[in-house]
Amino acid sequence: MTLLAAERLSRAFGGVAALSDVSFAVAAGEVVALIGPNGAGKSTCFNLLSGQLRPSAGRIRLDGRDITGLGPAAICRRGVGRSFQITATFASMTVRENVQLALLAHHRQIWRFWRPAAAAFRAEAQALLAELGMEAEADRAAAVLAYGDLKRLELAVALAGAPRLLLMDEPTAGMAPGERGALMALIRRLAGERGLGVLFTEHDMDAVFGTADRILVLARGTLIAAGRPAEIRADAEVRRVYLGVDA
Amino acid sequence: MLEVERLCSFYGRAQVLHDVGFGLASGSVAVLLGRNGAGKSTVLKSLIGLVPPRSGRIRFERAEIAGLPPHRIARAGIGYVPEERRVFAELTVAENLEAGRRPPRPGLAPWTAARLFALFPALGELRRRPAGRMSGGEQQMLAIARTLMGNPRLVLLDEPGEGLAPLVLRQIEASVRALRAEGVSLLIAEQGPAFARAVADQVLVMEKGAIVWSGTHAALEADAPARQRYLMP
Amino acid sequence: MHGFLFLQLLTGLASAAQLFLLAAGLTVIFGVTRVVNFAHGSLYMLGAYLGYSLITRAPPTPVGFALGALATAGLVAALGAGLEIALLRRLYRAPDLFQLLATFAVALMAEDLTQRLWGAEDLALPRPGFLAGALRIGAARFPLYDLVLIGLGPAVYLALLALFRTTRWGVLVRAATADRDMLACLGVDQRWLFTAVFALGAGLAGLGGALGLPDTTATLQMGFSSVTDAFVVVVVGGLGSLSGAALASLLIGLLQAFGIALVPRSTLVLVFVVMAATLVLRPHGLLGSASAEAAGAGAPALVRPATPALRALALVTLAAAVALPFLAGPFLLSVATEALIALLFAASLHLMMGPGGMASFGHAAWFGLGAYGAALAALALRAPLPLALVMGLLLAGAVAALFGLVVVRLAGVYLAMLTLAFAQIVWAGAMQFEEISGGDNGLLGVWPPRWLGGPVGFYFLALALCAGGALVLRRALHAPFGYALRGARDAPQRAAAIGLDVTRLRWAAFTLAGAAAGLAGALFAYAKGSVFPTYLGLGRSVDALLMVLLGGVGTMSGPFVGALVYTGLYDALLLATDAWRLVLGAAIIALVLLFPDGLAGAAARRMRA
Repeated sequence: MTLLAAERLSRAFGGVAALSDVSFAVAAGEVVALIGPNGAGKSTCFNLLSGQLRPSAGRIRLDGRDITGLGPAAICRRGVGRSFQITATFASMTVRENVQLALLAHHRQIWRFWRPAAAAFRAEAQALLAELGMEAEADRAAAVLAYGDLKRLELAVALAGAPRLLLMDEPTAGMAPGERGALMALIRRLAGERGLGVLFTEHDMDAVFGTADRILVLARGTLIAAGRPAEIRADAEVRRVYLGVDA
Repeated sequence: MLEVERLCSFYGRAQVLHDVGFGLASGSVAVLLGRNGAGKSTVLKSLIGLVPPRSGRIRFERAEIAGLPPHRIARAGIGYVPEERRVFAELTVAENLEAGRRPPRPGLAPWTAARLFALFPALGELRRRPAGRMSGGEQQMLAIARTLMGNPRLVLLDEPGEGLAPLVLRQIEASVRALRAEGVSLLIAEQGPAFARAVADQVLVMEKGAIVWSGTHAALEADAPARQRYLMP
Repeated sequence: MHGFLFLQLLTGLASAAQLFLLAAGLTVIFGVTRVVNFAHGSLYMLGAYLGYSLITRAPPTPVGFALGALATAGLVAALGAGLEIALLRRLYRAPDLFQLLATFAVALMAEDLTQRLWGAEDLALPRPGFLAGALRIGAARFPLYDLVLIGLGPAVYLALLALFRTTRWGVLVRAATADRDMLACLGVDQRWLFTAVFALGAGLAGLGGALGLPDTTATLQMGFSSVTDAFVVVVVGGLGSLSGAALASLLIGLLQAFGIALVPRSTLVLVFVVMAATLVLRPHGLLGSASAEAAGAGAPALVRPATPALRALALVTLAAAVALPFLAGPFLLSVATEALIALLFAASLHLMMGPGGMASFGHAAWFGLGAYGAALAALALRAPLPLALVMGLLLAGAVAALFGLVVVRLAGVYLAMLTLAFAQIVWAGAMQFEEISGGDNGLLGVWPPRWLGGPVGFYFLALALCAGGALVLRRALHAPFGYALRGARDAPQRAAAIGLDVTRLRWAAFTLAGAAAGLAGALFAYAKGSVFPTYLGLGRSVDALLMVLLGGVGTMSGPFVGALVYTGLYDALLLATDAWRLVLGAAIIALVLLFPDGLAGAAARRMRA
C-alpha cells in the first residue's frame, strides 16, 4: 500500500532548479534508498518532504492526503519522523530526556508548566531506548555520546513520534564500519515489525545495497533510475552519471 | 616533498580519517579517488589546516606543518582550491586575484594576472566582473588562478571537474598539465568527471576514511576487482 | 514654507552626517571581526574629550581645527588597536554575548577614567571663530559649520569606499568579510588585519567625536547615549554594511528633523517603528546579508534537577531569609529586600536568555514598565497595593507579548540590539512624556499601605512574591514547557521535526519573562516609594545580564547565586569606593575571561569533576 507519494516535485533556488519533476512512492514496510552525487538534490528532496522547504511545484501525499506546503511541525504530527545529516539532539538533556521530550510532544503535553517533566513517559522512553540497545546510556548527557550512539538516539527521538514514515539523511555518516551494519539491520527490523516506511540517503554503498528494497538515483535534480538493487547495479546510465567512469 | 603519516581527523566527535598515510614526490601529480564521503575532501582540508588533524604527522619540504594555522601552511607553499570554490563573490576577478597574491618564491617563475589570463583566457575577458556573477566553470578557473597567485609549490585541488561542462573541463585539464610542466606538484581529489587520473603519477583510492589501494592509473585499470569494490555502486 | 522645508532638510542632512560618522566605525568593525563593540560610544566620547584638549591648544584656524581632529582620530585609533590586541583577540571564539559584555565593561571603565582625567564638568568647545557664521533661511539661521558637516559625511563615506575598493588592504578586508577561512588558506594572517580594522573603526569614532564638538558638548553620558544611536543605525542599515549605515543615517537623520518639526516628541516612536518595520521586513537590515549573523554560543551544559545537597542548601537559605528581619537592622533589611527583587528580575532574564536562548540587552524595559504601571495605578487610579502590583505585571506582560511577536523571529545580536533599542526608547519616552511619567523627576509617593506593617511586612511580601516567583519560573523550566523551550534552543530543526512550535515557545518565554520582570519592577517601585526613568535604563538591563552571567546561564541555580552575590558586591563596592565603575568593569572582564560559565557553572563543574 502506498504510504508516501511524491508527484512531480520541483524546487528552484533563485531561478536555479535544485530538483525538477521528481516522482516516486514509498510503501508501508518498505525501505527505500535515495542516492546520487553531491549536489544531486537529495537534501532538497528531504527538506521538501519534511516541510523545511516548500516545493515550487508538485504534490506530496501521505496516505493519499495532501501534505504539500505544511510546516515541519504539522508534517511531524501527520506521522513523518526524520533524522538529520548533522546530528541534532538536545544537548542540554540526558539521553532519556531527549526521548521523553519527543514523547511529550507527540502526546501534545508541551504546554504544561508545573508537573516535572522528568517523570513523564519515563517507562515508555526507557522501553524505546531498550529496543535500540541504548538502555545503559539513558542517564548520560546527549552531548557526550559517541557518534554512533548519537545516531541511534536520533532514531529513538524520531521513533518516539510513532511515525509511519521515517526520513533519514545519511544515517550512518561518521560511524565506524562495524556500527553501520548494525544500525542498518536495526532499521530493516523496525520497518518489518512496525510496518514503517523508510526513505534514506546514504553514501555508504554497502548500507544502500545491503538494506534497501528499492533504490532511487538522483542526478542534477532529476530521477535517472529507480529499481531493485540488482537493477540499479546494472544500469549503465547510473554508472556513467554517478561514478563518472565508463565502466 | 610531502609525507603524511597516520593522519587522523575528526568532525566534532565523528572520526572521518583513520590513519591516512602517503607520500608525494616533488613535481608529481597524485589523485585521490573514492566514493562520496570516503574522506577525500577531509584529507585536503587537514593538509591545509582547515580541519586540524587530531593526530599524525604532515611533513612538507621537511618541515612539520600539522597543527599550524592555514595562513602559515599557505605561506609555506601549499595552495588549496576547495570543492565549493569559495570565490569572494562580491569581489571582481581582478580583486580575487589580488587577494591571493603573495611574494615570489625562489626557483619558481612568479604568477601574475597577465600570465594567468594567458592560461585561462576566459578570465581575462571578465576581470571587472564580480565573481558571484560568473558561471560555475569560470568560478572554478578563478579559484585555481587565485590560488596560483600565491606561487605555491603544491596545489590541492578538490573535485575540480565537478559539475562542469566538457569544454570547461578541457581547459581545467590543460591548466593541470601546464602546472605540472612548471614543476608544481598537485594533489587532486576526484570523483565525478575523470580527467586527472589520466595525468597522475600516482592514484590513491580511499574508502571510509582510509587509503585502501594505491598504484598507477594503469594498474587500477587492470585491477577490475578493486574498481568494483571501491568505486562502483 | 519652502524655507522651512529647506531648513529641516539641511538640519536632517547635518544630523545624518553626524550619525554616519558615529556609526561607520561600528559597522566596519562588525563586518570584519563580527564583534559588536559596545565601547564604540566610549571611543566617540574619548574623541570628544581628546578633541577638546587638542583643538583648544591648537591655533584657532581651520588648519588648527582640522589637525586637532585628525590627531584625535589617530590617538583613538591607537587606543582601539591596543584594545583589540589586549582584550578582543582572546574573545573572537567566545559566544557573542561575551564580546558585548567585555566591551561594555570597557565602556564603564572608560567613563570612570574620563571623569578622572577631564573632570565631571561638561566641556563646550566654542564654535571655531572662522565657522561661527550662519546662513539665513527665512527667519531662521543655519550654522555654517553644519554645512561643513554635510560635506564631511559624504566625503568620509567616499574615502572609506575608495579605501575598500581601490587598495590592496581594502580588497583583503572585503575578502575577510566574505570568507575569513578561505582568505587564511591564501596565506593572509587575519590577526593583524583585524587589529587594523579595529583601529580604523576606533579612529572613525574618534574623528566623529571631535567633529561633533562645535555642535554638542562633551559629556560623560555621551558614551552610552551615542552607542545606542550607533546601534540603531547599524541594525537598520544591516550589520557590517557601510552603504547600509549611510542609507540608515540619512533615513533616520531626515526622519528626526522632519518628525521633530511636524509632530514634536514623535521622533523616538518613529525611529523605533522604522527599526521594527525594517527588521520585520528585512531581518538583516536594509543592506545586510544573512551571513553577517554572528556565531552562536557553544554547546549548552547538561541541566540536572537539584541534588539533595542543593535542596538542603536552598532550605537553609530560605530559613535564614525568614529569620533575617528578627536579626538584621533596617539597612540590611532594605538591602535584602532589593536582593529579593533582583532575584526575580534575574530569574526572569535567565528564563529567556538561558533556556530560551534569547539574550536581551534591554530587559530593564519590562522592569521599568512594571514599576511605572504599578506607580500610575497607585497614584492616578488610587489602586490598592495588590491591584497595583497586578497592573504592573500586566502592563509589562502585555507590552512584552506584543513586542515579542516581532522580536522572537530574530536571533543573536539582532535580537539583543532590538531589545536594547526598545528599552532605550521606552526610557526616552519616560523622560519626554512628563505629564504622565513625571519625566526626570519621576513619580513619588508610592508607599506600601500601613496594614502591611512597615519594612518588615514589605520584606515578607517581597520574599513571598520574589522567591516564590523565581521558584515558579524554575518549576516551569523543569516542567514539559521548560524542556520544550530548551529543546527549541538546543536544536531548532530537530524541535520542529518532533512537532514543537519553536516560535510560539520562544514567544511564550519572552512574555513570561516580561511579566515576571514587571512584577519585580512593581515591587521595586513600592520598595523605593518612587519610580524614575533610570529603572528603564541601560544600567539596569546590564545589572540583570551580569547577575545571570555571574551565576551562569547554563545552570538553573545561576540567577539565585548571581542575584545575591551581585547585589552584595554592588552595595559593598558603592560603600567602599567611588571608583565603582572601574572596579565593576575590571570585574566583568575578569569574569568573562576566567569564568565563562559563571559561578554556579564553575561550582557544578568542580563537583562533577
